[in-house]
Amino acid sequence: MDVKFKPIDGNTPRYWTLVGILAVLALAGAWSTWLMFKQGIYLSGMTNRVPWGLQIVMAIYYIGLSAGSLVVSGLYGIFGKAEYKPFARMAAYLAMLFLIAGLLSIITDQGRTDRVFIEPFSHANPWSMFSINPSLYIGHITICIIYLWALFNEKYRLTKVASVTVVAWAIAVHSGTGAIFAFTPRELYTSPLLPVAFVAAALSSGAALMILVITALFKITKRHLDLGLIVWLGRLLAVFIVVALYVIMIENLHRFYLIESRHAAMYYLFGGWHAFLFWGGLILVGSIVPALILFKTKTGTSLRWILFASVLVVVGVWCERYMIVIPGQTFPPELFPGMEIVRSPLNEGIAVYNISFLEVLQALGVLGVIGCMFVLGLKYLPLAPAEARTVGESQMLKHMMPDAEVTEAAVSAEN
Amino acid sequence: MDRRDFLKRSGVFLVGAPCAYVLHVLPVSGARASSGHATATRRWGMVIDLHKCLEDCTACVESCRHENNVALHGDERWDVYWIRKVDIESKEPAVGTEESVPLLCNHCDDPPCALVCPVQATYRRDDGIVIVDHHRCIGCRYCMIACPYNARFFNYKENHDWHNKNYPKRSHGVAEACNFCAHRLDDGRLPACVETCQGIAGALTIGDLNDPHSEVSRLIADNPVKRLREDFGTEPKVYYIGLPGR
Amino acid sequence: MSRRRTFADKRSVLAVSVLVVFAAIPLLSSLISYVTARSAQPFLEMPDPKYENCVRETEYMRYHHWELLAEVREDFVRHGKRGDITLSGCKECHPNRERFCNQCHNAVNLTPDCFGCHYYPETPEAELMETYLNGKTTAPAAIAAAERNR
Repeated sequence: MDVKFKPIDGNTPRYWTLVGILAVLALAGAWSTWLMFKQGIYLSGMTNRVPWGLQIVMAIYYIGLSAGSLVVSGLYGIFGKAEYKPFARMAAYLAMLFLIAGLLSIITDQGRTDRVFIEPFSHANPWSMFSINPSLYIGHITICIIYLWALFNEKYRLTKVASVTVVAWAIAVHSGTGAIFAFTPRELYTSPLLPVAFVAAALSSGAALMILVITALFKITKRHLDLGLIVWLGRLLAVFIVVALYVIMIENLHRFYLIESRHAAMYYLFGGWHAFLFWGGLILVGSIVPALILFKTKTGTSLRWILFASVLVVVGVWCERYMIVIPGQTFPPELFPGMEIVRSPLNEGIAVYNISFLEVLQALGVLGVIGCMFVLGLKYLPLAPAEARTVGESQMLKHMMPDAEVTEAAVSAEN
Repeated sequence: MDRRDFLKRSGVFLVGAPCAYVLHVLPVSGARASSGHATATRRWGMVIDLHKCLEDCTACVESCRHENNVALHGDERWDVYWIRKVDIESKEPAVGTEESVPLLCNHCDDPPCALVCPVQATYRRDDGIVIVDHHRCIGCRYCMIACPYNARFFNYKENHDWHNKNYPKRSHGVAEACNFCAHRLDDGRLPACVETCQGIAGALTIGDLNDPHSEVSRLIADNPVKRLREDFGTEPKVYYIGLPGR
Repeated sequence: MSRRRTFADKRSVLAVSVLVVFAAIPLLSSLISYVTARSAQPFLEMPDPKYENCVRETEYMRYHHWELLAEVREDFVRHGKRGDITLSGCKECHPNRERFCNQCHNAVNLTPDCFGCHYYPETPEAELMETYLNGKTTAPAAIAAAERNR
């Protein structure tokens, strides 16, 4: 099947307003980072008890998002699902951008940003997850570029090789990112399941975001998109959600069941307002509701419901990322078993983390940078497909939608 | 050189270079980093006798602050304590034990902070002292995440108290922790906290753990000693006499 | 199969050249400061003649003193080897940072990090004022010392 790619026109005022807004966000983020570099990162909400804040949450969130894009891309490259070829380029490009966003978040978070490009290259400690991971990220970006090049030039064999490599590499990237936390001796971090949970949640959030981006692009540019494609992606998303929920459940049950870690698990699950993020954000809004929506035939084949579920998943996985990073730090390590610290010049109990405005600005700045790159990429690179149609008869889609007309329904069509 | 030969050679290089790199850094990386003058035969350790430590005395904290220009901003979120005093109480009201305990970097033999430092800024000297090279630290704060004793701190703000001009202060943006006053030990002097305490209560003792005749070895042999959370397996080198609890 | 060359159109060429220019900016700026450093003739206050020789010859010190300092720093901080060369040793012969170190550093637009953490006052007068304010010396003694230094 020959897919035609047509960059978007991008001469409307609306387009340039969007670019302008994103650029302003990027500049604001740069200003905030500069301020923190000059005056110290006390300007963020981080403290000696909570040394990792919003930027790390955003970094692992972005890196997770890149996975799902790659899966959509891999549907064509690995599984040869030709009807997903139109999205392959866009997905690979997005995956690369999210990796860049993750790296940017980490770089802007350092206390001595000026040394980030010197010391890790001259004195790397090969056993640190913080030097293993950036190597993985940079490798991932490189492979993404090769993969994109192969897709752009329609090199079929290279596409196949590159897409298998990139997906395998992505699993390493996401497990490694989970390992940053899982391999440290903190009560709520240490867990062999955390990297697995990270990969699972990464797949679901990325697939959800991909659904949103694809639909938005086709709707705004008024191109033809068959509903069946989105429905199938929604089904895939539902499976990812269930897997992620399962792994997270096992992890917490294990922690809760063992007496030695029950105290920590109680704090994680019920101790403070982050519990709302867990139960409300992650479990209810991020997993159960979207899974129900997507599995129910009536809502699972309706575009509006799928989009709604995708938004819920994107929000829910952000809560999951927050739950990985923050509660593990605010929960105090037990220095004296059987004893209690009653007086100290520092806060030795449960710590508080308040996100500061400048930190939010930094996070938005990173979003602005990759947003700009994506929107400009749609204009200057042959990323956007002219149309996307289902190929032939898909047994699964037929089963899901007995009403044959629905298969032919289009999300949007050329006027 | 024909094409095949070239490919072969570049393949050898591509595989060989990373291997050589890893082999090269293996013995000097992570927890067992560094080599050199700080003699390997010596292993510094500290013994804290809680029976002697006075409850309301913070002389060690103050002297450390003055010797090492440790930042005090008056806000517990960003204050730095290389050594701090905490009061602990038994969770069982019936036991009712109360004790005042100085807490400092434990200078673990297997320091998790050095293991996770991406640039080898935190490393363990051959004499067992865990040190931060502030010239190299990029401020990623991974060591603070990894330290199970909450003994590491970060310079969130610029420090304007420069008490001891002979010792450098730290710029904002780098992590730091107690270093047993390595500059003083190298000069044959005692760390500031130990020197101060010996004039007051004599609760702190520092010495060579490898030397069976040193005072610390004698104290460890003669008294029931405990280290903080030995179950972590980090092998701390700060020993407490009379530490209550499990 | 269509094999369009996607990177060959004019806009791509433009984009690539913009990227190249941006990448070249840091290289160019360091080249410029290298040239200015070689050609700059800033005023440097000579130390007291009673100090005969620096630790290395003048030409080496002028262009490579940071390498030497980095080397001794590595020896001391990483390996515990304390040598004769220290930053506070520099201060003994060149007590006036304003009229010595800063002259070159300003000429090549460079701000080294050293002095944020290592004590090296801008001028001896500033140092005396600081010790006076800290109550370490009396006012007449500080003024007399400042006079002597001038």
